[in-house]
Amino acid sequence: MKRIVTALYDLQGQGIFRLARLALLGKYLPIGNLQGGPGARCLGVLLFLHYLGYPFYLLLARHGHRLQALRRRLRR
Amino acid sequence: MGRQDFREKCVAERESTYQTMNVTTYYSLPALLLAGRQKAAEKTVVSFDLFDTLLIRRIHDPDLVKLPVARYIARLARSVGVACHQHRVQELRDTIEKRHRLETGQRFVDQEACYPRFMEELLRHIFAAQYSPELLAQVTDYELTMENSMLVVRDPFKVWMEELFRQGKRLFIISDMYLPAMHLRRLVDHAGIEPYVEAVISSADTFLAKASGKAFAMIAEKYGLAPQDWLHVGDNPISDGLRPVEMGIEALVLSDVGEAQRKSLVKRYYNYSDGKPFWRGRVLQQLMAPLEGEDRPQSSLYREGYTFLGTIIGLFVQEVARHCLEKGIRKIFFLSREGWTFKRYWEQAMPLLYPEGGLPEIEYLYVSRMALAGASCAYQGLTKANADIVFLPTGNRDFRDVCRIFALEIDPLLPHLQRYQLEADSALSPAHQGYTPNNRQMFDALLEDRSFQEEVRRQTRIANEAAVRYFESVGLFAHDHIALVDIGWLGTIQRFLFETIAHRPDCPTCHGLLFGATRGIPYPEGGKNLLRGIVYDRYRFDFAASVIIYAQDIFEEACRAPHPTLNGYRLTETGAELEFRKVDDDIGKAEVEQDNYFAPLQQGIFDSAGRFAAAAALLGYQLEDCRGWMNYMLVSKLAFPTAREVADIRHLHHLDDFHGGRKPQAGLTLGPVPLWRERPWKLKFHPWLRLRHFLGHLRGRINQ
Repeated sequence: MKRIVTALYDLQGQGIFRLARLALLGKYLPIGNLQGGPGARCLGVLLFLHYLGYPFYLLLARHGHRLQALRRRLRR
Repeated sequence: MGRQDFREKCVAERESTYQTMNVTTYYSLPALLLAGRQKAAEKTVVSFDLFDTLLIRRIHDPDLVKLPVARYIARLARSVGVACHQHRVQELRDTIEKRHRLETGQRFVDQEACYPRFMEELLRHIFAAQYSPELLAQVTDYELTMENSMLVVRDPFKVWMEELFRQGKRLFIISDMYLPAMHLRRLVDHAGIEPYVEAVISSADTFLAKASGKAFAMIAEKYGLAPQDWLHVGDNPISDGLRPVEMGIEALVLSDVGEAQRKSLVKRYYNYSDGKPFWRGRVLQQLMAPLEGEDRPQSSLYREGYTFLGTIIGLFVQEVARHCLEKGIRKIFFLSREGWTFKRYWEQAMPLLYPEGGLPEIEYLYVSRMALAGASCAYQGLTKANADIVFLPTGNRDFRDVCRIFALEIDPLLPHLQRYQLEADSALSPAHQGYTPNNRQMFDALLEDRSFQEEVRRQTRIANEAAVRYFESVGLFAHDHIALVDIGWLGTIQRFLFETIAHRPDCPTCHGLLFGATRGIPYPEGGKNLLRGIVYDRYRFDFAASVIIYAQDIFEEACRAPHPTLNGYRLTETGAELEFRKVDDDIGKAEVEQDNYFAPLQQGIFDSAGRFAAAAALLGYQLEDCRGWMNYMLVSKLAFPTAREVADIRHLHHLDDFHGGRKPQAGLTLGPVPLWRERPWKLKFHPWLRLRHFLGHLRGRINQ
């Protein structure tokens, strides 16, 4: 008995790693119309957010205000 | 360190104090609740912020809920002859709301807006003389329904509120929101926390908001609350932190890191779906996913039903609706027995997807191949194509099987067989011993024999009359165009059904909409008899969707209605009665066992319907938008399943009277073992098994 959504906010049994594996296979074999597929960059960002998102956002929540000046500068 | 340990550590290190504000921020809900329970013990009043505190949204951006409402208004406008695109509606709404906020800002500190006021102005602007208060009520109702479908109560808060209520504390909900309190009450009621709350206060009613702190002063005065006895909980460091503290109210601020991660993911999925259509189905699933207390531990079958089959069936049903509206079809018949699931899904999903109505009528039609096969011969006789269908399953061998399927009495037909040197037991299927090509040639010649066909017509006339009477009683002839929705695969039921009614002058045009059309034998399309596979159609090259062939029985078993198959129709004085198959024999018992096994799977499918509809309505996506993701799911789940998935979803029994029970000749029917029939150890340990099957399937489709 498991939940539908995992602790990483991914779908149980349809995780991002499984998608990455099939996308990799799709590079070498025709697997059909996937409307352009997931894209490596999108996959990378989502893998990061699913697996390392929590510590990242914890850091941001606790110390994010210190980055305000940097953000303002980047925005300019 | 495991993820759970890491979270616990974070909870332990929870507090970070704003030195200047003296407001404590908590980075997880358990941490806040721990502190909240201690602090509330000394207080008599506890107030809560509503959005992102008590209720969380499935979507990252609350403004996205406005989009389906704009679409709804645009459709309503179109229905009364006013052309106003949804983007224009949204633009107007934003402009009017902004102006209202600026006007409020001239009289009050806070720049608030009130939904009934700006929505009335918007609707008056679009509908002009056709505006009515009922229209405003209708739009408001849909907006609140959409809000409710996207909002989820945080279970731990609900439990805490119940505790506080039992302790006799006075509980308030305070929100800075354009919806007035009477609308917020509906959201709170839907969340199940309304009984605990003394009052719901919205800035839309008084234009005094938490953001300026004016709301707290007004509430304290109106309800006679003392700040020192008051604890406020919210998520905004200013509105829910600094402002109440300035008033002398103790405040707890929640900055939930888990929520930030979840919303960030939804945001990425949503943004990616804009530029990369592949992600559209994924964001749909992310919004469909249960949250908080909705997400209870479930069996693997339930999960597959919810995420895999539920999503695909939802897209299928949505496409059926779109197709029928486009073609002007006013009646849909969901064919038994798989149509039972599609109809139930339709009933749950369509009110959110098409709130303005205008959808075709729906009806569940009791049919089966066995019930219709005989009736189809009453006017055209037994055609070669129909006789060929009998010998597709290897369980059928000879003329006795033909008679069983077409409900023919064999004795009056024997003299006709003898004229063609055939006997009742002459093997007509190449899968059986004794078969000769000559037998089949003779049988084909028999089918062209006039006296044989006359006898077939005579025998099947009553079955046809009974079937037609039943169809009359359900209004099948009352429309010029009807849709027949079924799981698939050859379209045999529709073929027999159409042939049963084709002789009638009022025979409607039948638009067959199949989940998957594998078209093992050519379908007699044309004129009033049309067929289309929606998820998969062999006539439309879609390699990824063709993997449905890997395990098509699963879809059939998963969607099957919990009633026995129909054996036929019986004429009565007033019309026709349905005759169902008995359930106490081996096949009947096996079906019941299979149904019981797949019950959690079906429950998962039905539970997903409402959430699918809400997510699809919000995103505005349909099957073609999500085809890439759907194809990925099909390939991933059917062609590259895990051993555990095969073990769980693989059906125990798939039996059918149509298939017959004869044993084919050894060696003749043994093709490669399908992937879903491979032995568990092979599925678990064979490294190239799936790839080998996949390449075989690829070769098969290319050669097709």
